[in-house]
Amino acid sequence: MNPVTPAIQTHELSKIYDNGRGCRNITLTIGQGEAFGFLGPNGAGKSTFVKTLVGLVKPSGGAGSLLGHPIGSLEARQRIGYLPELYRYPEWLSGEEVMKMHAGLLGIKGEEAQKRIRNGLDEVGIGRRGTDRVKQYSKGMQQRLGLACALLGDPDILFLDEPSSAMDPVGRREVRELLLELKQRGKTLFLNSHLMEDVETVCDQMALMLNGDMIRGGSVEEMLKVKVRWRFKVGGFSPVLLEWLQEESGLNIGAAYPEKDSEAEWDAPVWLEAELENEDQAGRLNMLIVEQGMTLYESAMQREKLEDWFVQTVSGRDQRGERR
Amino acid sequence: MNTIITATWKEMLRRKMLLITLVLTALFLAVFWFIADTVALDEGGSMDLLGQFVRRSAILSLGFFFGGFVVAFLAIFSSFSVISGEAEQGVLQSVLTRPIPRWKWYIGRWIGYVSLIGAYALLLFVAIVWITSVHAGMSRNYHDIGISLLLFLGTVPALISASMLGSTLFSGIGNGVFMTMLYGAGWLGGMVEKVRGVLPVEPDVQQTLSRIGALLSLLMPADGLNRRMQYILTQGAGQTIPFLTGGSPPSNLFVGYAVIFTIFAFALGLWLFRRKDF
Repeated sequence: MNPVTPAIQTHELSKIYDNGRGCRNITLTIGQGEAFGFLGPNGAGKSTFVKTLVGLVKPSGGAGSLLGHPIGSLEARQRIGYLPELYRYPEWLSGEEVMKMHAGLLGIKGEEAQKRIRNGLDEVGIGRRGTDRVKQYSKGMQQRLGLACALLGDPDILFLDEPSSAMDPVGRREVRELLLELKQRGKTLFLNSHLMEDVETVCDQMALMLNGDMIRGGSVEEMLKVKVRWRFKVGGFSPVLLEWLQEESGLNIGAAYPEKDSEAEWDAPVWLEAELENEDQAGRLNMLIVEQGMTLYESAMQREKLEDWFVQTVSGRDQRGERR
Repeated sequence: MNTIITATWKEMLRRKMLLITLVLTALFLAVFWFIADTVALDEGGSMDLLGQFVRRSAILSLGFFFGGFVVAFLAIFSSFSVISGEAEQGVLQSVLTRPIPRWKWYIGRWIGYVSLIGAYALLLFVAIVWITSVHAGMSRNYHDIGISLLLFLGTVPALISASMLGSTLFSGIGNGVFMTMLYGAGWLGGMVEKVRGVLPVEPDVQQTLSRIGALLSLLMPADGLNRRMQYILTQGAGQTIPFLTGGSPPSNLFVGYAVIFTIFAFALGLWLFRRKDF
């Protein structure tokens, strides 16, 4: 495998259904070993895009490749694992039998298949319950089984559509840890998720999709970096000091405080806020606050959460995939 | 493809479709034994050839009336949701992303259904013919019996091919209704053909009824194949003139049409499946 070949590459890839929904002109490149998070509200076209990549739907236009092989080709499908968003396994089979069937479809047989099935079930926490019929599994267990099936072929690229949506908090954490481990093993992850924490923790790159269009994309760090805010809880504040702080530091500092009638009312602590580039600036600001005789109660970085970024980005836009 | 064939067998066994069918078939065969015994009872102590022939035909008709229905419904209800139903439930999505061509999946499922239901149809055919033979005697013309068996078995791929084609076009439950109606139309065509032979109506009315019956039989040739099979069992493959069957049996041309129908339904279903989005 040539390490330069992108794991996932699309050029204006589109899938438009008869009702006008789907995804349009998606161009992206994801390198080998990267973790990519795909965000967007329900009906944005994320799952359609993933289904196009894994060969479940035929594209209406554009092109795409997985590790250099055209999407949908057998060679491409040989290298992927896919956990669909809405799926069920045949409930008349046991977890092990489901895995065995998938091993057969992957061409893995005999002792090797048994070994992978055992390891896979253990890895996702199903363990000995693998002998139970699927109909006795909870939703979370079925999701774990789906994850085990996706990992069965030791794929280079993993497409995970809401991998932990049905799990309890412990299960979610376990899945997140598993994803981080897979990333460390050099797997390429494509993660469709509403769980921002998963994307924020696991992914290097991300993109936001809305009404079938990819409206933003880039590294998670980059997208959130510009919005690193610091908050300082100070006592002994007055508006004069704020002006001084701004002049001295050269920063745009905001303060949240109501109108005060007398100097005595400034005794209550006040929150100051500033967008800073690095911790050095925060340190200098701390020093200036103390130098001016104010009491510094608390100084904390308010790194913007992906969820805030997501809500801000999509707010005010049509976001339910309506026909345009 | 073996994985898919095995999974199909496992599905039919685990969902107890085949078990329920086998238990009910055993009950039917027990009842059929007594029916055959009653119909074949020779009260006068002797039976002429014509009487024996009529009784044998009646027993076979009763046996295959049940046999035709049960094989048809087993074929329809086991496969009517194989594509759309599994796609709706999300079963197909994880399977079709595996490195196997879609045609292998489709053919594997088809072989799985046809082989298992075909095996059941074979057992049922042997049981009905054996019971009839015990009570009313059967000809020892194994050529005729072999052709009849092939015609009876031929209904299975015809029904499965049509059902899988329907499953690429309609929702799971929609296809179940569609296939039942389609089989019902074919069966009605056979009934029209039988009834017109005994109705005291003008020749032109008979001709109109015959056309309607033939057209209905063309929609789903499974029942037509059954009628032809019964005709050969009672009359012999060499007979060309209808005799005591209450109407014309389907011709060789119809059997040829049934083969083309099956191939066309299978090929169209496969073609649509390969192009389908999931």
